[in-house]
Amino acid sequence: MEKQLESLKLAFSEELNLAGAPEDLEPMRVKYLGRKGALTGILRQMGSLDPEERPRIGSLSNELKVFMEEALAKKLEGLQTHSVFKGIDVTLPGRAPRKGSIHIINQVVRELEDIFLSLGFNIASGPEVEDDYHNFEALNIPEHHPARDMQDTFYFTSDVLLRTHTSPVQIRVMESSGLPVRIIAPGKVYRCDSDVSHTPMFHQIEGLWVEEGITFRHLKGVLNEFIRKLFGPDIPLRFRPSFFPFTEPSAEVDMGCIICKGKGCRVCKNSGWLEILGCGMVDPEVYKYVDIDPETVTGFAFGLGVERVAMLKYGIDDIRMFFENDLRFLKQFS
Amino acid sequence: MKIGYKWIKEYIDIDENARAIADALTMSGTEVEEIIHETILREVICARILEVTQHPDADKLSLCQVDTGSEILRVVCGAPNVAPGMISAFAPVGTDLGPGMKVKKAKIRGQESFGVLLSERELGLTDDHTGIMEIDADVKPGEVLLDALDLEDWVFNINVTPNRGDCLSAIGIARELSALFRKNLKLPEFVIREDTTPVESVLGVEILAPEACPRYAARVLEDVKIGKSPFTMRRRLFQAGVRAINNVVDITNYVLLEYGQPLHAFDYTLVAGHGIVVRKAHEGELFVTLDSVQRTLRADDLLICDREKPVALAGVMGGENSEVLDTSSGIALESAFFEPVGIRHTSKGLNLSTEASYRFERGIDPGIQMDAANRAAYLMAELADARVFKGVIDINYLSDTAGDIVLRTEYLHKVLGIDEFTDGDVEDILTRLGCRLQKTETGWLVKPPRFRHDITREIDLVEEFIRIFGMEKVRPLLPTFQPMQMSSLEERYQELRTRIAAMGFTEVVTYSFISPKWKQFFGENMMELMNPISDEMKLMRNSLIPGLAGAAEKNKHLQNRDLALFEMGKCFDPTSQGNLPEEEYRLGIAISGQRTPSHWSERAVEVDFFDLKGIIEVILPDAAAVPSAHGFYKPGNQADIMVGERPVGHMGALHPDILKMLDIEDDVYVMEIAVDPIFARVWRGMQEIPKFPMTWRDLSMVVKDDTSYQDIVRIIESKGIRELRNVVPIDLYVGEKLPEGLKGITIRITYQSDSRTLEDKIINKWQESILGSLQKDLGISLRQ
Repeated sequence: MEKQLESLKLAFSEELNLAGAPEDLEPMRVKYLGRKGALTGILRQMGSLDPEERPRIGSLSNELKVFMEEALAKKLEGLQTHSVFKGIDVTLPGRAPRKGSIHIINQVVRELEDIFLSLGFNIASGPEVEDDYHNFEALNIPEHHPARDMQDTFYFTSDVLLRTHTSPVQIRVMESSGLPVRIIAPGKVYRCDSDVSHTPMFHQIEGLWVEEGITFRHLKGVLNEFIRKLFGPDIPLRFRPSFFPFTEPSAEVDMGCIICKGKGCRVCKNSGWLEILGCGMVDPEVYKYVDIDPETVTGFAFGLGVERVAMLKYGIDDIRMFFENDLRFLKQFS
Repeated sequence: MKIGYKWIKEYIDIDENARAIADALTMSGTEVEEIIHETILREVICARILEVTQHPDADKLSLCQVDTGSEILRVVCGAPNVAPGMISAFAPVGTDLGPGMKVKKAKIRGQESFGVLLSERELGLTDDHTGIMEIDADVKPGEVLLDALDLEDWVFNINVTPNRGDCLSAIGIARELSALFRKNLKLPEFVIREDTTPVESVLGVEILAPEACPRYAARVLEDVKIGKSPFTMRRRLFQAGVRAINNVVDITNYVLLEYGQPLHAFDYTLVAGHGIVVRKAHEGELFVTLDSVQRTLRADDLLICDREKPVALAGVMGGENSEVLDTSSGIALESAFFEPVGIRHTSKGLNLSTEASYRFERGIDPGIQMDAANRAAYLMAELADARVFKGVIDINYLSDTAGDIVLRTEYLHKVLGIDEFTDGDVEDILTRLGCRLQKTETGWLVKPPRFRHDITREIDLVEEFIRIFGMEKVRPLLPTFQPMQMSSLEERYQELRTRIAAMGFTEVVTYSFISPKWKQFFGENMMELMNPISDEMKLMRNSLIPGLAGAAEKNKHLQNRDLALFEMGKCFDPTSQGNLPEEEYRLGIAISGQRTPSHWSERAVEVDFFDLKGIIEVILPDAAAVPSAHGFYKPGNQADIMVGERPVGHMGALHPDILKMLDIEDDVYVMEIAVDPIFARVWRGMQEIPKFPMTWRDLSMVVKDDTSYQDIVRIIESKGIRELRNVVPIDLYVGEKLPEGLKGITIRITYQSDSRTLEDKIINKWQESILGSLQKDLGISLRQ
């Protein structure tokens, strides 16, 4: 009888292993543990046993009963867990943390700052509301000079204005710190101009390097390296003579159009070149305003528009997008 | 400035194509922004009108017999100027004049027409559409019009930098090209047929303000036949964007564009006393300019007067009272040099900029007044049949006192850093530009030409040299440097920005100027622009909230209901001492709508005040929130953010009036905080990691409605229990299960000791003590 119990356990275990679905288990329970089941059948034969054998067999069969009940329960749980349909739908969307983003202009400023830091510049800043002296006069733009027409200025009083460029930071830095000066100054600037290609507020980065022995060659070297780091190694640069009151010689820098590779397209107006920044050697007149002897040092300065860089890098064709704060635009840069 | 290439070519023998000319100018600093190629269809030919008869069924139409050189065709024409013998421009049947404008055989009011006679405007040559083109040159019927009049041209749109006033003319550009291409400049040559009566007998000139008008040249002409200018002149003016008026006015404009010398023609008979007086205006003096606008002058504006009254606003615009009209016959011609600063002052003051003032401001050639006056007189004699009085009045206080400029070879090296040039290069380039050089031991003494008033210093010569020598010949060189690191402040701005973005906020950048409608909420303490883009962008923000609210408004209206925005930027406080405002760098945050995007697993929760407060607790753990009463927040739903005694910002729900003004339906929660306290991190030293277990007790109580959570915490902390680690509220109940005026609050108090495991007995004692104080001081009761 003991053997019967053992073979029953074996048969049960084998059958249980084969069960593949929860509904297979109830017939098994009936078959082995039901009132007409196999174990009950064996127990019915207890009467034919030695009375001395009975307690031992009784205890064994009870163990088997518990074993089978637990095995069935465990199997049921396992089958339920493994059932795709009774479990979770993993194709449902997850609970994602909200995604934020840094404004694309500030991302570009950061990228430009990193490049200039790696080229030996420090970061400086200055006020957005400026006086006439720092924004114009000390930059060699006297009151009645036509050069003032180059920038439409917002005024609060005849002397206080919104800076039209980041160049006044040049003056403030040279006023307050000793030589050599190697700074960039990123920030907001303002011009009284608003149309498809102009917003009354935009961002510039000013650069200034003043030190004994600095020449036009260095200006070209630094700007070449900058453009290479920003747009890639094979972008040609073109220095085109121009005029700024606070630099001389002055130049506009064009880079080969990154969209058409110089073949001519809508963005570069078929010229193959894109205007990217203005630069020049610091005009000796400027040094006089900050008490530096122009005979002892030379230096270069440059300025570039951050929006311009962002537009070229990301193919944005309307500058007003930057300040409309439409989330459908901003979130593309997260 | 726009100028046609064919015109420039009159002053220089040059064969380069227009693109090469443009490139050369651009790469030497005079940027050609655009080249406009002008041509007309080859099908358009010259045709002679043989006969003109009235159209039988239309008053305004004529029937013309037209000789096209190969046949005689009938053409119906509506132009008022059509006349037998005239040669005009003719487009035969089949000519495609543009979309929808193919010339077809047509019946016009019953009369057949075999082609079209064209106006100058229809050909794109001028803006004249008063009649069909009247060809004033010697051409034959059948000739291709393009070739017969040599009409193909290229118009350069040139961006002349403010320092190069000398390039604002056809001759100026030709002169620049002569230096670039090593060609000779050919100035106009002409002989004036003069009368014998000397000009001095008919006009006197007196300069009362020689510092403002150091040179005044004048000529007088008589018997002028006012009429239409020749086609070529009108076309050149049209290319330059100047409207043709009549031959006399056109000639003054033509010479202005040719020499860069502004001229003015007065009707001589209207010049009272036959005298010109140049004087300063009286403060408040009134004067009506050519454009019929009465202008109020300032004392430093300069006037050209006759013996009785002002007749022109010097260097800017003539007066209506002496304008040359079709009836004029006597002309007084002015060719003067006005001091640039004064003209600019007047032009800016009156907000009146003209071709003349633009050039005077930039400084014209001080040596050219006679030439220009003579040129205009010559053209008036030729084209308007004028009788020219003998001689020119020329009152000249100008002297060529400009000294020589020292140019050192060493200085060229010092600025440019290059060795790849010779003395010969320097001499060649500067000589081509019109400078006279004298060799010295260290370099040269250089005398620049008079028309280059922008060259006064050694550095100016360096620039002249390199712009012609070629900047592309300068080899780039990196200076020696060490990579730098961001200053800690910059680094922290960036870090804060990154942190807030990582919390799920989208950064916006809004304009620093805001609308006056915000004054009612944010006070009068804002700087106001004198010349804003619009009234809506007039004030400098003293808070980031208007910008953030605007961004919320915009996106809500774009169906984006759930918002988590931030901005970092400056706010402006004009009350600071000194002439510039205080600029404070702040962080602003705005949230609205659902806390998280809708999700299938849970019900959406709307954001509230405590979402904001949670952000503050993370970025500024030392801050406390104190109830506040700002007008821009909803009463009772706002707080000042305090660090110690210092208010560093505030937060709250936007006031319903603001929501209404912006047409926003949902609540918007906003905070604004100065960034510097966020950066002021304090390191309090390393804390030991606790070794003994902590124990907590919950306390459910009923308190009065006006008891703040802070009141409860303060009492608990006042017990001075060292083992007290933390107090948190874990439940708050307000509702009908409690009587009016009471609320239920459950707090959890955590205890922990550094030296032992705490026993229940001692904790119970502390709890009783705390409860006792709460009951006594706040009148709380335990909740059942």
